[in-house]
Amino acid sequence: MNIWVLRLLLEIVFLTVVFLHLVKKNYGAVLAYTIQSLAIVAVLFNSFLETGGMSLLLIALLALIVKVILAPLFFVRMIKKNGLRFSVSTYLNIPLTLIVIAAITAIAHSQKLAPLAEIVPANHALLSLALSAMLLSLVLIINRKGALSQIIGILSFENSIIAFAVFAGLEQSPSLQAGILFDLFVWLVIATVFMAMIYKHFGSLDVTSMKHLKD
Amino acid sequence: MELLIILTSLFTAALIGISVRHRRIIETASVVASAVSFAASVAVALKVASSGSYAPYSFFYVDALGAIVMLIIACVGFAVTVYSVAYLRQETAKKIIGFTRVKQYFVLLDLFIAAMFLAVTASSPIVTWISVEATTLSTAFLISFYNKPSAMEAAWKYLIINSIGLLLGFFGTLLYFIPLNPLRGSGLISWQQLAANTAHFDPLIARIAFVFVLIGYGTKAGLVPMHTWLPDAHSKAPAPVSALLSGVLLNVAFVVILRFKGITDAVVGRSFSQGFLILFGVISMLVAALIILTQANYKRLLAYSSIENMGILSLGFGFGGLGAFAAILHMIYHALVKSTLFLSAGTVLLKYSSTKIARVTGVLATLTVTGILFLTGFFFITGTPPFGIFLTKIFILSAGIKTHPAAVLVALFSMAVLFIGFFKHVTAMFFGKKPEGIKAGEGSVWLVVPPLALIAVAFYLSFHIPGFLFTLINGAVSHE
Repeated sequence: MNIWVLRLLLEIVFLTVVFLHLVKKNYGAVLAYTIQSLAIVAVLFNSFLETGGMSLLLIALLALIVKVILAPLFFVRMIKKNGLRFSVSTYLNIPLTLIVIAAITAIAHSQKLAPLAEIVPANHALLSLALSAMLLSLVLIINRKGALSQIIGILSFENSIIAFAVFAGLEQSPSLQAGILFDLFVWLVIATVFMAMIYKHFGSLDVTSMKHLKD
Repeated sequence: MELLIILTSLFTAALIGISVRHRRIIETASVVASAVSFAASVAVALKVASSGSYAPYSFFYVDALGAIVMLIIACVGFAVTVYSVAYLRQETAKKIIGFTRVKQYFVLLDLFIAAMFLAVTASSPIVTWISVEATTLSTAFLISFYNKPSAMEAAWKYLIINSIGLLLGFFGTLLYFIPLNPLRGSGLISWQQLAANTAHFDPLIARIAFVFVLIGYGTKAGLVPMHTWLPDAHSKAPAPVSALLSGVLLNVAFVVILRFKGITDAVVGRSFSQGFLILFGVISMLVAALIILTQANYKRLLAYSSIENMGILSLGFGFGGLGAFAAILHMIYHALVKSTLFLSAGTVLLKYSSTKIARVTGVLATLTVTGILFLTGFFFITGTPPFGIFLTKIFILSAGIKTHPAAVLVALFSMAVLFIGFFKHVTAMFFGKKPEGIKAGEGSVWLVVPPLALIAVAFYLSFHIPGFLFTLINGAVSHE
């Protein structure tokens, strides 16, 4: 795949994280995560095209099933079942969030994190972008009060790490990648069950409504 | 072969738990699996003691430190499984839980123990990461076991914080692969390959990677300030699970940090990781000691004590040399004694139906044997002579007194504060008048035997360390 296409895919990953910071509707967040995952699957598919290894094609397909089909399906069912169209609020307001996004993107492209971006000098810009997506995903988890947004934040963080690993030449063997994907799938199921239980107990997915650990 | 036996027996017990509808069969399967695991772990430890390491297949590799932690998992795992049978029967009798919960409990317990075994025996750092993540997944439902809002909150906090921590750890782990190309060769890169390729590792990247790993796995190990999930999770889980979480799981996470520390030290020298470990150690000890003073819940009290002890381990490994030797011994003592304390706390909870310190008085009159076990555990864990932890604390502090006197002084102060705080709560709970309406007696001998056995082993090890264990500790320190 052309380097420009790969760059575009990584830009999609980055932009979806930014969008996740700004989106107010849960459906919008799920859509953003689906697009982001699709971009990651395309990046993984590129590894297959470059090497021709059938096991890598299998990994891309597994990632497609888990991240692009199953995860959004779980989330949409959850939203429909409980009528959770709107995401709960953030700790920072939109202008402040935008400032934080700009600052973190600048930090990720600064000299401080240059050693990480220089792992593969030819991919310097791509690695910086992947680092930005990682840091922004972390902020997303911290800034959002909704359980669904936190879950999507963690999944987005994982996608960003995968993107970084691919462009830094740190992809693991197909068997290990399959193990990681299986782990992710189990995590996803458990997190979705927990969200349902939280909604049942607290009548909301707002994690600030959980105040029972005071003793 | 032994490692396959351990995993197969535990997975079989979990499968039996899923498919069978007879409580006695489920309980027996779990107890037998943990007993088999215990016997196999002793066999592995003896092999490692005689030959330095054990790697029957490329997928597994057990070194001296791995063998010690295997013994800890097996020993505490067996005691906890036996205790769980009696504990859950009492809870069923009190109508706190039903049969479905019991099934769920044993399945998750077996998977949890299997995941911990896999984490310390896997030859690949990525498999280790997957296994540590699996411990989070298997225990999340055990923390929310009682299905109360507070338990749900604790489990959610546990899941989210640990998932973030482990993803940071995953990123750090990936950075350690830079000197190698993972797709070249077999693809299953082992700890030994990472250690053998340190010469090609950029020191700056090694530093960054270690920070990520320390924060990531340090979250799982309960080091301050990443500890916030720990007191909630450990206090809300069923007591036997708390014993495994506090006594064993924290050590499993710590072992992973130590393995990466060894690789980092080979690249950038000892002082880099040393500084971080001492800093995290001192902060963990100080924060835990100060919070214990005002604790109102005895299970949270024990959880904070675990944070303090992880701080002591961190300090010991940070100081190195004699400190590292003492830290490994401390790890063993802490695992055995903290499990004893949590199991005893479980028996107290069954009797008093409350984890609030203010609602528990006269334990010695109500639960005489459990009370004595808890008190012995308290003196042991706080480092009162002649118990083993007294010596390990002295050794750790003396290892750092010349090079880091300020850290030693803060650690000493923290230990004193913790003793006072812990003692205040223990006297309030264990002495005084027995409450009206609470019948004296433990209820089942199997609520007493497992914690008694654990503290007896800890007591024995305070005065005599068997030859094979001494060899293992020396082996672990030499690789550290």
